Amino acid sequence: MLKPPTSPHRPIHALLKTPLILGLGLLGLAIGCRSDQVSHYRVPKEAAVTHPDHPGHADEAMPMPGSMPAGQEPAANVPPPPTPKGALKWTLPKGWSELPGGGMRFATFKAPFAGKLEATVVVLPGPAGGELANVNRWRGQIGLPALDEAGLAKARTIVKAKAGTVNVYDFTSDGQAKSRMVAASIATPDGNTWFLKLNGDADPVAKARPDFMTILGSVRLD
Amino acid sequence: MIKTIASRVWAFFKSFQLTIVLLALLMGLIVACTLAQVEMGTQGAVNAYMRSFIVWHQFSFLTFQVPTFPGGALVGLLLTINLIAKTMDIKLIWPRAGMWLIHVGLVVLFAGEFVAGMMQVDTNMSIEVGQTVNFVQSYKNAELALIDVTDPTWDEVYSVPDTQLARGGAIAIPGTPITLNVKKFYPNAQLSNLPPGAPPSMATVGVGAGVSIIEQPLVSADNDMNQTSAFVEPVAGGRSYGVWLASVALGAPQSFTHEGRTYLLTMRLRRQYLPYAFTLKQFRHDVYPGTDIPKNFSSLVQVVNPSQKESREVLIYMNQPLRYAGKTFYQASFGKNDTLSVLSVVENPGWLLPYVSCVLVSVGLLVHFAIVLRRSLKRRQDKKEG
Repeated sequence: MLKPPTSPHRPIHALLKTPLILGLGLLGLAIGCRSDQVSHYRVPKEAAVTHPDHPGHADEAMPMPGSMPAGQEPAANVPPPPTPKGALKWTLPKGWSELPGGGMRFATFKAPFAGKLEATVVVLPGPAGGELANVNRWRGQIGLPALDEAGLAKARTIVKAKAGTVNVYDFTSDGQAKSRMVAASIATPDGNTWFLKLNGDADPVAKARPDFMTILGSVRLD
Repeated sequence: MIKTIASRVWAFFKSFQLTIVLLALLMGLIVACTLAQVEMGTQGAVNAYMRSFIVWHQFSFLTFQVPTFPGGALVGLLLTINLIAKTMDIKLIWPRAGMWLIHVGLVVLFAGEFVAGMMQVDTNMSIEVGQTVNFVQSYKNAELALIDVTDPTWDEVYSVPDTQLARGGAIAIPGTPITLNVKKFYPNAQLSNLPPGAPPSMATVGVGAGVSIIEQPLVSADNDMNQTSAFVEPVAGGRSYGVWLASVALGAPQSFTHEGRTYLLTMRLRRQYLPYAFTLKQFRHDVYPGTDIPKNFSSLVQVVNPSQKESREVLIYMNQPLRYAGKTFYQASFGKNDTLSVLSVVENPGWLLPYVSCVLVSVGLLVHFAIVLRRSLKRRQDKKEG
């Protein structure tokens, strides 16, 4: 014969009270801890500001493979940028073509070279943060450390064009697969700054560079 | 009367029918959530279907959203109550110990999901080979960073989260004489150059003075990014430094100087700085010979934590995350010709709960099996003797 089980008759509700209170406390903590206040950090200076996953940056268009947030192509409903008062003109070498820009981009050049390569034109009002800050931002985009004023002057190449002096910088990354960027800026009399950039894998950029320099030499005011 | 109502409510919560209905609702939610991921992205769909109490839907013929289905949080909560009620119905006696353990294990599993839903923080860390990074950043949330760059070695970073910007008004930046007046906030916007003849921009200084801005609906798909933007006016010592446009779509740096201190103003993905840093020493993307089919992704990082006097190499690869200082770093993605590694970073204070639950349920099943086996053997023995 089986003996009927005997219950110790402990108060079950009392047993459950503690985890219940703990659970509620945890919930309260979770809700209360959601901070949306100004926070302060003291951090060592970054070598350069990098925005590897900011696809919307006006002058950054290196779409990433893999499952990274993809580079955002100008959407179909984005109107092309208007022509600034003192727009620049240029002459494209044979085989190159120009696509209209969108959003903050004024134009995109299509180069007749295989490989990852992009040439873009962005125009921004005023000095757009200054040359040093922009050059360091570009260097950051290919993983290079920031330059100081002396380093900037050393890295600068001058191209004389009809529109004025074009400051050109040519940087190659130190990574396993080298990225290269040829970036130029020119200020126009209407107060705008124009940025022309050629970037991508080092090999196709090297092939396209002579043509790109020809484009830079051809810039003139409309 | 009250007793009758209470006992009816109790009977409702512990009913097996309720369990069946809730499990059916959960199945429906899983199917809907899976399908919704196409449009809303993984996180967007999980938030809308699984981590909400009510699923809301916007019908094209209505101007407001209507509740269409109980959300995962509500179904989960009711299931937990149902489970607790059922558990309490089990007599607290040794022969029922296995059943108790199994039920408590399931309650812990549900609690783990609630903790994850409310407290888990998902961020990522993007590092290029040779680069050292000491912060993780949000996938979707933005912050307006006011950075005092005057010191040659240190930056003082003051971060205003987008949620605070959305409330508008004046935001005093503690530790500085600066107050930021938020003139207008756009959770998502489309920026373009200001067309000739267009009304002037709200911005009076900086790049934004020549930029036209149009508000856009929020996006949540995995590959979409909200171009969070705001017009802000820094004021210090009774002086206005003009109205600036800060946007994640603007790369150009913008700064102003107050009493000899230079401040950068930038909208960016929300960062959390860490007391340690990772340097990416090597990233490997191996493929099967003769194909482009990935075989292995791995990041060799140097973890440097000055407070612990620690500096060591760690290899993070697929399914082998690094658990460090309450965060878990998974190999998630890569880019820039295999020179950029993206680590997905998860911080979940309840990460142990599913493991605790598994142990409880497993032990419970074993105990229950042992008890039943013992009882059955005893019964057989009694039969033989009898």
